[in-house]
Order: sequence, then C-alpha cells, then structure tokens
Amino acid sequence: MRDFDLLEPKTIPEACGMLAAGEDVRPVSGGTALLILVKQGLLRPRSLVNLKKLEGANAIRRDAGGAVRIEAMATIHEVETSQVVREHLPVLAEACHQVANIRIRHLATIGGNLAHGDHQSDPPGVLVALGAEVELSGAGGTRALKLADFLLGTYETALEPGEMVTAVTVPPVEGRLVGGYLKFTTGSSEERPCAGITALVRLDGDRPVEARLAVGAVASRPLLLCEADPAEAALEAMADRAAEEIDPIPDLRGSAEYKRHLVRVLGRRAMAAAWAEAGS
Amino acid sequence: MRHLINANVNGRERELSVKSNQTLLEVLRDDLRLKGTREGCSVGVCGSCTVLVDGKPVSSCLMLASNAEGKEVLTIEGLGQAGNLDPVQQAFLDHQAFQCGFCTPGMIMAVKGLLNENAKPDEAEVRDYLSGNICRCGTYVEVMAAIEDLTAKP
Amino acid sequence: MSAVGSSTPRVDGDAKVRGAAQYTADIELAGMLHAKALRSPHPHAKLVGIDVSKAAALPGVIAIVTRDDLEGLNPYYGAVVEDQPVLAMDRVRCVGDIVVAVAAEEREIAEEAVELIEVEYEPLPAVFDVVESARAGAPIIHEERFETQAAIFREQLNLNAGGNVCSVFRAGDGDVDAGFAEADEIFENTYRMPPVQHGHIEPHVATAVWESPGRLLVHTPCQNAVGLQEQLARIFNIPESGVRVVVPHVGGGYGGKTHARLEPVTALLARKAGRPVQWVLTREEVFLTGRRYGAFVRMKTGFKRDGRLVAREVDVFYDLGAYALSGPANAKTGSYVASGPYRVPNRRLTTYAVYTNLPPAGPYRGVGVPHVAWAYESEMDRIARHLGMDPVELRLKNLLQEGDVFVTGESLVSVGISDCLRQVASGIGWRGREEQSNGAREGSLRRGKGLAVIMKSTTTPTASAASVRLNGDGSVMLLTSSTEMGQGVRTCLAQIVADRLGMPVERVTVSAPDTDVTPYDKSTSSSRTTFHMGNAALRAAEEVREQLLEAGAQGLEVDKADLELGADGVRVKGVPDRGLTVPQLLRVKYGDSVGSIFGSSNFQVKGGLDPKTGKGKAAAFWFFSACGAEVEVDVETGKVRVLNVATSVDVGKAINPLQCWLQNEGSMLEALGAAFFEEMVFEQGQPVNGTLLEYMLPSMQDHPERFQSLLVETPHPEGPFGAKGVGEAVIPAVVPAIGNAVANALGGLNVTELPLRPERIVAALAEREASTR
Repeated sequence: MRDFDLLEPKTIPEACGMLAAGEDVRPVSGGTALLILVKQGLLRPRSLVNLKKLEGANAIRRDAGGAVRIEAMATIHEVETSQVVREHLPVLAEACHQVANIRIRHLATIGGNLAHGDHQSDPPGVLVALGAEVELSGAGGTRALKLADFLLGTYETALEPGEMVTAVTVPPVEGRLVGGYLKFTTGSSEERPCAGITALVRLDGDRPVEARLAVGAVASRPLLLCEADPAEAALEAMADRAAEEIDPIPDLRGSAEYKRHLVRVLGRRAMAAAWAEAGS
Repeated sequence: MRHLINANVNGRERELSVKSNQTLLEVLRDDLRLKGTREGCSVGVCGSCTVLVDGKPVSSCLMLASNAEGKEVLTIEGLGQAGNLDPVQQAFLDHQAFQCGFCTPGMIMAVKGLLNENAKPDEAEVRDYLSGNICRCGTYVEVMAAIEDLTAKP
Repeated sequence: MSAVGSSTPRVDGDAKVRGAAQYTADIELAGMLHAKALRSPHPHAKLVGIDVSKAAALPGVIAIVTRDDLEGLNPYYGAVVEDQPVLAMDRVRCVGDIVVAVAAEEREIAEEAVELIEVEYEPLPAVFDVVESARAGAPIIHEERFETQAAIFREQLNLNAGGNVCSVFRAGDGDVDAGFAEADEIFENTYRMPPVQHGHIEPHVATAVWESPGRLLVHTPCQNAVGLQEQLARIFNIPESGVRVVVPHVGGGYGGKTHARLEPVTALLARKAGRPVQWVLTREEVFLTGRRYGAFVRMKTGFKRDGRLVAREVDVFYDLGAYALSGPANAKTGSYVASGPYRVPNRRLTTYAVYTNLPPAGPYRGVGVPHVAWAYESEMDRIARHLGMDPVELRLKNLLQEGDVFVTGESLVSVGISDCLRQVASGIGWRGREEQSNGAREGSLRRGKGLAVIMKSTTTPTASAASVRLNGDGSVMLLTSSTEMGQGVRTCLAQIVADRLGMPVERVTVSAPDTDVTPYDKSTSSSRTTFHMGNAALRAAEEVREQLLEAGAQGLEVDKADLELGADGVRVKGVPDRGLTVPQLLRVKYGDSVGSIFGSSNFQVKGGLDPKTGKGKAAAFWFFSACGAEVEVDVETGKVRVLNVATSVDVGKAINPLQCWLQNEGSMLEALGAAFFEEMVFEQGQPVNGTLLEYMLPSMQDHPERFQSLLVETPHPEGPFGAKGVGEAVIPAVVPAIGNAVANALGGLNVTELPLRPERIVAALAEREASTR
C-alpha cells in the first residue's frame, strides 16, 4: 500500500480541522472500503485522518422522545447487536447483520458506510426507509440532513470539504413499524446486494397507516415510496411503481431490465410479507 | 510516519513502532514474523488473515496497525502448542477439517470468534458466521462437524 | 490393520492447524528483495520503447529487468510450445503481460518504481472470441511458428495448425456420414463455457537466489518441480543440475500451479540483483496469470428411436489466451472423450487450441473435459426427454463396458461407470421418468433432479520415480517430487510405503519436492500421483523389503519365504520371538549396524496417440465418475438453491477413503461455483471482475444442504493395490448434473451458456413463454 501520513485526532473538532486541509486528506474509520481503494491505487491520499481513535464517538442511544441516535464510529456489528436497535429498529439490525462478513462488520463503521456513498450496500436503503437523518460536523459547526438528501449518487454525498458524518439519527416512530429487509444476491452468498428491499408497514394500534418501500443497491441512490392509509390491493402497485421509477445500474449481477424485474418481484414479496406481519 | 503503539500480542505486552500505512497483517507477518496469518485476497473477502482483536475476528489485511493500540491481538500462534492444542485446533485435527491448510489458521480464528460470541451455535448460525472464510479446497462439511463436536461437549 | 484402505489422519495435520506449516511467502532469505512488475495495459500492442531511468534512480531499487536482459539467454519458454517470453520482447499479447520487473529493498519501493517506468506502445488489432480468432483473417497473435523441445509433443500433437490455431487434434471411427444417414433423429446444439479462476487462496509466489553464477535456488509452490527445473535450466543456459527447485507447503493448486508462471522473471531479477528476490503476486495479478480455458462446443448427435447413439460429430474451440502452456495437450484430452463415455459407432471429434488476446489459461481440474461434458450430458437429457426415456436408462443403454474398444483403439479396463451412475441415482432418490416432469412446486419454486456421467484420461505416457530409505532406527524416508497441495499425497504415499514394509504410517516421512534430492516426476497433475508415484513408491519399498528379507534369511539362516516383516524388523513366520531388528539386519548386510537400506524405482507408462490417426493408448487408466443433483429454482428471480449433491467415482481402490471424500467435496464445490456464478469477464481484453470482491468463490452458505461422496472400487490391474486416481474426477460431471436438474425443474429448459446466473434463467423462461404464446 502506498505511503500516507496517518493523523490521529482525539476530538471531532480536531478531526474537522485536519480534514479541512485539502482534497488529498481523507477520513478513514474502519478502513474496509477506503484501504481497498488505496491498495488498488484508485485513491492516493497524502494524509488519512484516523477517526477510530476519537473518544466516545460510537454510542447508540434512544432519547426520551424515541429517536435513536447512532454515533458514526459505531461498528456495523455494534449496530446489529445493539439492544436499542434490536428492540426499536429490528429491520436495521437485520440489514446490518447482512453486511459483508463478520470480520468486516467488526471493523466497518456506520458513519463510514454512509459517507462512502457506495450504492451496493445494505444499510443505506433501510435507513432511508426509516427516515434517518445524518449529522454532519465541520469547522462551521454541525448540521443535520435527511439521509435521502445526503446520498447523491455512487460515491457521491453532500459532505462538504472538512466535514464528517458524526451520527445518524432515526426519528421516533408514531405507532409501530413492522416488516423487514430482503437482500438478494445473484451469485455467492457473500456478494454485495444486487437488490436490497426494505418493506415496512406502520401501524396505529392495529390499523395500517403507512406503507414504505425502499429499494437499495439497484440505482445510484435508494428509492423510497410511501403510501398513506394503504390497502392490501395497493401494495403490488407500489412495487410496480418502484420498478418503473427506479433507474437501475447494469453490472455483472444483472442488466437494467433484469434489475427492474427484480424490484417488481421482490418488492411485491417484501410488501406482502410486511402486510402479513402487520395483520398477525 | 511512524506511530508508537502498545498492544498485547498473543499474551505478551509489546511496544511497537508501526508505519502509517501498515496493516495489522503486515506488522504481524513482517515485523513480528508471525507467519501463520496469511494474505489471500487483500480485500477482506477470503478470511485467511483472520485474527482476533479483543476477542473479535477481523480482517487484519484491512485494519490499520495503529488501531491495534491498547488492544489484545490473538493469532494462530497464540493458541495451543504442539502436544497441547487448543480444543478448536484439536477438533479440526479430529475431523480432518482442512486440506491445503492455507486458510486453516484464519478459519480456526474465526471459529474461536464464533464460540466467543455464541457458545452453542446451530448449523444455520455456523454457516452464517463462517461464510466469509473461504476454503477453496471445499472442506466446509468437516469444519461444521468439528464445531458440532466442540459444542456438543458439556 | 493394513495401512492401505483406512482413513489415516493427514501426516501434515499438526503443522497446519498450528499455522506452523511454511508456505513460500513465509520464507525470508537474508538480504531478500521484493519484486513488482509493470504489466501491459493493452491486449495487443507493439512494444516501441521502455525508459526505466527514473525508476532506476529511486533509492532502494536494486535491479530492473527488461527484454534487454534476455540477451544471451533463451527468452521463450512453455510446457508444450515455447511461445512465452520471460519478459515482453517485440510486443505484448494480453493485458497483464509482464514488460518490466523491479527488485527493491521494500515492497512499496518496488511499487513506486514501477509507476516511474515509461513504456511506449503501438496498439495492434486484437481478438478475444475463440471462434473469431480461429477464422482466417483474424489478427495474428504469434507471427512466429514455435518449436517444441519435447520430442513427446512433437510426436503426439499437430502443432502450428495455421493462423491463431495453435494445435488441432482429431479422433474418430466408423463412417460418420453413414451414421447420420442411419439415424432416426439428429440433434445439433452449441454450448459455451466461460473462463474461470482456479481460486487457490495462496497466490502465485516465488523466491529465487543465485548461489553462484551456475547455481539457482528457487522456492515455489509449483506442482511440477522437475518440469520447472528443466525450463529454468534451458532459459538460463545452465545444466539441469544447476537448478534447485524446492517446493514448500502449497496453498492450493487445482492445476493452476502446474507450469512456470513467475519463476523465470523472479530468477532473472535475482541474477541481476545478485541477491535473493521474492515475488508474491497480488490477487489482481493472479487473475492475469492463470485461468481455465473458455470453450465453444458444437455437437451433432444421431440416434435411433430406441435410444442408441449411432453418430456424433463434435468441434471444440478452446481459448488458450495469449500463450499455450500445456493447452495443445489439454485440448487433446477433450477430443477423444468428446462423445462421452458411450458406445458410439461413428464419430468425428475435433478439438482446436486457439490463441486469443486474453491472459493465458492453463490446466484446471478436468482440463479439457468439463467443456465437452457440459455439452454431451446436456444432450443426453434432451434426447431422453425427446424419446420419453428415463435419462438413467438411456445412459445405461449406451454406456461403455469393461473390455470395450474405445475410439482410440484401446481396450478399456476398470470401467465402473454404470455402478457410479446407479449410486448417484440412488443417492438423490431418482425415481425414473417422472423426474423429467414431476418436480415438486410451491409458489414460484420448482424442484428438479439431474444426473451426469463422464470419463477422463490421465496424461500418458509419463514416468514417476521414487526412492525409499530405511534408516538405522527403523524410520523411513520416501523421496519423491510429488507436490502436496492439499490433496493428501504425503499421507497416501506414506500409507503405501508403510503397508508394503509392514510398519506404522507414523514411521514414514514423505519428502517435499527438492530437485537436488528427489527423483524425476512428470508432474503432480492429471490426478496421476496415486497411480504413478504410488507405483514407484510401492516398488521402491519392495526393493527395501527384499533387502531386509535377504539379510534376515542370511542372518537367521532360514529361507526368505519363511520370513515376514514386522514393525521392528524381520521375523520368522509363526515364531514371533525369532527375528532381527533393523540395526541387526544392517549388521548382517554391512558388517556393522550403521548405514541405510535404499530402494528406488522408475515407474513408466508407455503409450500416447498417433496425431494422424488419433489411435494408440490415451491413458494409463481412465477416470469414470457420475453426479446427481437436486435443485430448487425460483422461476420469478431465476435463483437456484442446491438441495442435494451426490458424486461417485470409480477410484479403483480408495487408499484413504476420507481424503477421497475431501477431494470430491472440493471438486464438487468448485464445479458448483462454475455452474452458478464463477465467470471471468473481459471487455476488450480488460478484466472486469478481476478481484475476489467481484469474482467470488463458493462459501459455506453456498455449500449444498446435503452432499455425499460415493465410491466405486473396480480394481485396476496395474494400479497400486488396484488404485487409480480421484482429484479432479467429479468436476466435469457436476456442472451438467446441475444443468440437467435445473432443466428438469423447468420442464425441460436447457440453458446452454454458463454460468446459470439468475438472469439467464429468467431470460430463458421468458423466451420459452414468448415462443409458445
């Protein structure tokens, strides 16, 4: 691996200061994505800012209002095994469990995952379905942004120079969310998702008040469809609409046409499963 | 640029001077001459470089060595010795759960990680946990049998 | 208990579970440098100029080699034809061709140096498709015609067939035209198999040092130490005895480490640097270094209404990539079995080995056979369906039997194939004809079962030599150049020697290949080791045994025939306390109880085929194997789940049943990857998925829910204890068995192009629906 300087801040402001130094200074947390790019010579940073040694930047908490705040340096494994996440956002635990393999989940962080902007990943779609916000910190302070507005495209995010992701927050749910995450791979079980479908139904008591369908890993950014007061008959139409609206990126896992087909098939299945869970 | 770190490697406290761009794998192999941890893919997919950091399996090829600061690192050399094997090593021997042996240390460390997290995994959990450790010789059934044997013991 | 036939634990087990087994990359020599290469970014280009001055000025760079450093040497090498330059000469022929190599004090310095090298190329037209490349008018990849040094290949291959066709091989018999005229029906289809990776987790690696100008030492995980020794000696114009090749533990080979790959460049660097050099390839480089041949198969079959095959014509085009390696020989192995393990009275079978501007291929488990088996076993199921016959019955009706005369003219022995088929049919609960139409269905899921059978030769003629040394303490060394690469050869050979000497396996140590010490062996490939080296070891042990018995007879003053070997020496049969220990036997033999007893053997199998007629002896022994598979296809997504796989091999005799199981399990899993997702993809010669992130190998989750490795033992009269071989035997059968299972699940929909990616299945279903609408 080509040489670089590793800068090791202890605090977030210190880290932001280092990151503001220029284009060839990049943040690194788990390193499981970034170091591959450096090894392959696709990225040649002069310095990397090591965020792993930031103090207390990996807490996962639920506040009094019911929002779940996950600090950026929480590893994917910490998210999937967090009691708070398992209890209140089981679909996020489910999706995080399916990221890469156990070794990577112990290294990779949720903040790094989102900041990397790789569309072929499990968590972004789920978090978009959950209406998550990211917290960005920079020299000018802290701002919050809807994750859906933060993810701009493949390897493209709304991060400004000198900024870093410091937390992701899932707002409180009015009522109860049921449903799940469906990961589809076309080859080995270990492949990154060809499609990642999140289907959720929000219940007010026993009454379904909202259906959400998020499609991850197919297009350059997740697609989210929501339907208020859904009826069972509308669910298939949601999947069909997702298939029409999505702009799939063709690759070795499938053509755009096939991926569109998958979104329809898997979207219907996932919505049906969520609906069945809502009814039970 | 170098970083002075303190880490416990296989039970021994060490002060290590590591380079910014060194991975934990490189420090283990090149500096500490612990050659049982091996590089297969360099991208965290194959699992041959699996070591335990604070009891958890990681891909040492993708972990910056500096991040081992204050951690406990366990490699295959830190498990049992000849004549006094770790139970996981013994189970691998008993079930002949390897062929070429290149991936074996990583596989054994991953099994240690699994049993640290889950003392009684069922078959589905075993497959799920170990599916990131690739054995091209295909000796998976025997690894599963070795684990079943280990966890059947009271 | 006899050592042979029992699942003796591996002799290398303890070192492997402790991580103490040393592989080539673990070796550090004093003063060792690290290598890195500059590789061609073009699939085909003239090499106009190379400027290494900036790289040479970089501190820490010790040696840089280019084509200029090959002056006075033999720059071209190759296993069959010498077409591959150590470093690019006048042109590059594929992406990844090595143009310059650098040795530096540290890996990073070598990497940096490579980036400072400037090379000027002049791109040339390139060709990537094997069929296009074989046509007249395709860009010519090798302007020169190459000679082969090996007489055996000159005599047995049709080389330089014209254009990019490196070689052609024809086999056949009967009157094909009359056969098709006689047929009630004729089927004609084409099949494609893409290139795949061997996937050995240990990358290619070599360490080289010149101990003096005429003395080269190389450590490498090579499956063919002696062949490499010969090639290096020829490149550097030194005697073979000047080259010492040592093979440490090998992290998987599967054929991918059979031939010289990076050793010549590493040795050249070490020579120029005057220091040891180690070169470990990155995984990306491994993808540019070796692979399995892709192939295009055209198959025409004539058959009678009762299911008898009467005529078959097959043309196969194997894509060699830029260099031949053993391609012509491997394509030959596909030719004579291209009509399958069946009695077909009239056939014309032709295989072409064709250059393309892709990275070089090479032997991979099954060499040329998986490609043709994919075609002929898919065809068998299509024919069975068409005739309304049970595919098992159709196969049994046509299968070769013991003593049949094969297309090569040789009589077949140890032909357990019908039993293999019956075993796997039973192993997956095959119920006959109803399997063609009656797969269980639930929602979008369809279940299906499928079967396939194959035959394969082992490389012939060849030789293997071995020496056995009995030490004064009664311990034994077997000196052999066979490479242990996971297949358990050390254990198997130790069992054979121990059995013949009547001693426990633990007392036998089997050497690693070291060409200073270990005798000749053709190679550890073609699943030939148990048969050939097993025979050599057995005979060498036999010589030791004879000497012990002779010394015993002399010392005890009894007839040799009244003696037997025991764990400690020789004793009189039926009189356990009357015997001599090994030291006592040495005293009898040498007058003093020092020294050792030595036996050696050169086991040779003659034969080979006449390239003009395709007749002769193709194989020292034949592999026969079968596979049965049950799958579940999701017709909406195209995704397939594998429920059950049963394989069966006629091994002759299982020396170590557990190791046979492990070899079959590994072969099955590699084939499963190739069936469903493994495929090297190139765009204009550039690798698209050349990392293990994009090209994945089967994981524990991908392993079938159930797997059985079944064995048939039809003893081979010339095999050690009747044994043949096993390593690669099931690989060609697994892919078509899975293909047939998928086809049955879908009511007879054969997809002809691999891998069976979900999209391909969905597209085939859609196409059928459109055509029946």
